[in-house]
Amino acid sequence: MSLTQTRPAPPGEPKHAPPPRSRYWWYRFDTKTVPYLLIAPFFLLFAVFGLFPIIFNAVVSLRNWRIDEPDNRGWAGGENFSRLLTDDDFWNALGNTFGIFVLSTIPQLLIALIVANLLNRKLRATTWWRVGILLPYVTPVAASTLVFAMFFARDYGLANWFLSLVGFGEEDPIDWRAAKWSSWIAIATMVNWKWIGYNALLYLSAMQSIPKDVYEAAAVDGAGPWTQLWRITVPMIQPVILFTVVLSTIGGLQLFNEPMLFDENPASASGGSDGQFQTIAQLIYKVGWKDLNLGYAAAMSWALFLIILIVAGVNALATRRLGGDK
Amino acid sequence: MGRSARRVAAVGLVAALALAGCSGQSLENGGDDASGDGQVSLKINFWGDMGLDKLKAKYEAEHTNVKIVLNSGEYNAQHEDLQKKLVAGSGAPDISAVDEGFIVQFRSQADQFVNLLDKGASSYESKYLGWKWQASQSADGKQIGLGTDVGGLAMCYRTDLFKAAGLPTDRESVSKLWPTWDAFIETGKKYTKATGKKFVDSGTNLFNPVLAQQPVGFYDPQEALQMEGGPKVAFDVSMKAIEAGISANLASFQPNWDQGFKKDQFAALACPAWMLGHIQDTAPDQKGKWDIANIPGGGGNWGGSWWTIPKQGKNVDEAYKFVEWLIQPEQQIEVFKTVGNLPSQPALYKDPAVLDYKKEFFTDAPTGQIFAATAENLKPQYLGKKNGPTRVAVENVITRVQQGGLAPAAAWAEAVKEADKASKA
Repeated sequence: MSLTQTRPAPPGEPKHAPPPRSRYWWYRFDTKTVPYLLIAPFFLLFAVFGLFPIIFNAVVSLRNWRIDEPDNRGWAGGENFSRLLTDDDFWNALGNTFGIFVLSTIPQLLIALIVANLLNRKLRATTWWRVGILLPYVTPVAASTLVFAMFFARDYGLANWFLSLVGFGEEDPIDWRAAKWSSWIAIATMVNWKWIGYNALLYLSAMQSIPKDVYEAAAVDGAGPWTQLWRITVPMIQPVILFTVVLSTIGGLQLFNEPMLFDENPASASGGSDGQFQTIAQLIYKVGWKDLNLGYAAAMSWALFLIILIVAGVNALATRRLGGDK
Repeated sequence: MGRSARRVAAVGLVAALALAGCSGQSLENGGDDASGDGQVSLKINFWGDMGLDKLKAKYEAEHTNVKIVLNSGEYNAQHEDLQKKLVAGSGAPDISAVDEGFIVQFRSQADQFVNLLDKGASSYESKYLGWKWQASQSADGKQIGLGTDVGGLAMCYRTDLFKAAGLPTDRESVSKLWPTWDAFIETGKKYTKATGKKFVDSGTNLFNPVLAQQPVGFYDPQEALQMEGGPKVAFDVSMKAIEAGISANLASFQPNWDQGFKKDQFAALACPAWMLGHIQDTAPDQKGKWDIANIPGGGGNWGGSWWTIPKQGKNVDEAYKFVEWLIQPEQQIEVFKTVGNLPSQPALYKDPAVLDYKKEFFTDAPTGQIFAATAENLKPQYLGKKNGPTRVAVENVITRVQQGGLAPAAAWAEAVKEADKASKA
């Protein structure tokens, strides 16, 4: 899954001439130790803020840890995990997460590709457009989601107003939060709005490294813009597409802020009155800080971690296949 | 372990020590503990406006060695923050306000809080409303909080909208319109028929006050779920109102609800004392258009807070001194006048400063008298450990009915099922 492939150093590369004996210790220190010193901060920070929480989380997931029962702190074994398998809420949240994930990731990456392709042409005020598509990414999620929550309001919402213009739902406006399909669309819209520009810029930067003569040759052979996009651009920026697919898989499966702030009662973390749009991340939050069952919440977090690994792996494989990478 | 590996480990250790050294130092400097000159800084977490600004200055003037740091935040965020700090073992404020919705959760972790009885709080027991005193007491008798305010219950209504619908507008006649909840719903039907507009904001905002009036809530003192008692009565009232078509179906405390105030989407609203502040802030231009009548069904309580002192604080003695000062009558009355929060010590209800107080925004309604009467008359209700999640579960079922996803006839069975699930979560 790495973006850059390390290749072994070609044999027979000339070695540096050894320095005079007096400075030998410094030479050794400089070549053998300094690199480790320089990369150490990342690994230290990763160990403290990345590895330790994951391991600690695994330990907690095997224990009983209820905040409201301070005496109940023994080992639970696999109890938390087996409970997960029969928990309707978990499966509901899993379904919602995947539904919203599909509704957001696929259009998001497709539109980003098309936007990048447009921006790759000669345009007036290129920089203005390029900076413009990044604006949604810079906007804080809390701010944009609150605006969207008003946009998708039942009474006096802009979305319903637009629909009423084309004669839809004038009498009975859509209650966006009430049903699965409408709430998923609303949340996927927020996610798409935020990430299309970001992905488009990534694609754009990759596209600019494609030599122009490839397109010229294709044009001479009679390939239209669409053929050029699918037959030349997409295969040639495939590593970046892979990167965005993995990245949006992780982001999509961890979706939290948007459904949380879209909820009519955000404090409950129940994702709608019937859990219509409760994502797994939201459920973990609810189990941990509302039901006060940290052990069970930790088990859910670990399950989510594994699910993300699997889905990201599958997506990466699929993307390689699509790009013609054998 | 090879040589190179050992070297990496050594380098790592040095760097880790350097990191630890830095963070230790910065904690030392940024901490709130008493520094050399005997200065004590007390951090207080609460939400909204609890009328502390003036009191802080007063206390600091009287106690020159104490500095009060006020930290107001969002209601849920503050409670969750406190919970996280208790789990983490450090970082909690010296004093934290805790609301009725969360007191049960924290009183079952009484070991994390200073037992105020150890500091001599027992002398205040007789001054408090009995149920208010008990609600912050753990099963083994530790007192984790001293009450600040209670909710009480009343019905706020829009005089201008009532007038347009041909209903009486003065608070005595309006109170007479609805001795019971059935009469209240009938009044609502009349209003809706005359104006074509909805009468109340939501089914959940009827469920909660009616439940607060019942002798038994979701749980009995043995922590068993009791849905057939109080919750059934309250649920039926909310269903009746939804079926009668008088509810605007707006989820409370949400943007839509706030907009509902401004767009006259409802004319009556169950309101505990702390709700008055919210109405004033949300619709400031409706000054003089609101008034306060009695609520059908009599006394009850909805909401109200306590001051607690987490054990991890470094200045628990100074913190207790300040809390003790805050609950003295003089300060309690000051808070009542500033923000409207009703004191939880019944002796104050006879104080002229409370009795004669009139709220201009609400057509000069005597808020002290109105809320004191309901707070004094109510039968105390036991709040179980799972009260919060259970309430949310049942509210969600009511919302589903309002959204049209569930038939009212099938709703009660669903509510029982969801409440049962929440009680076991």
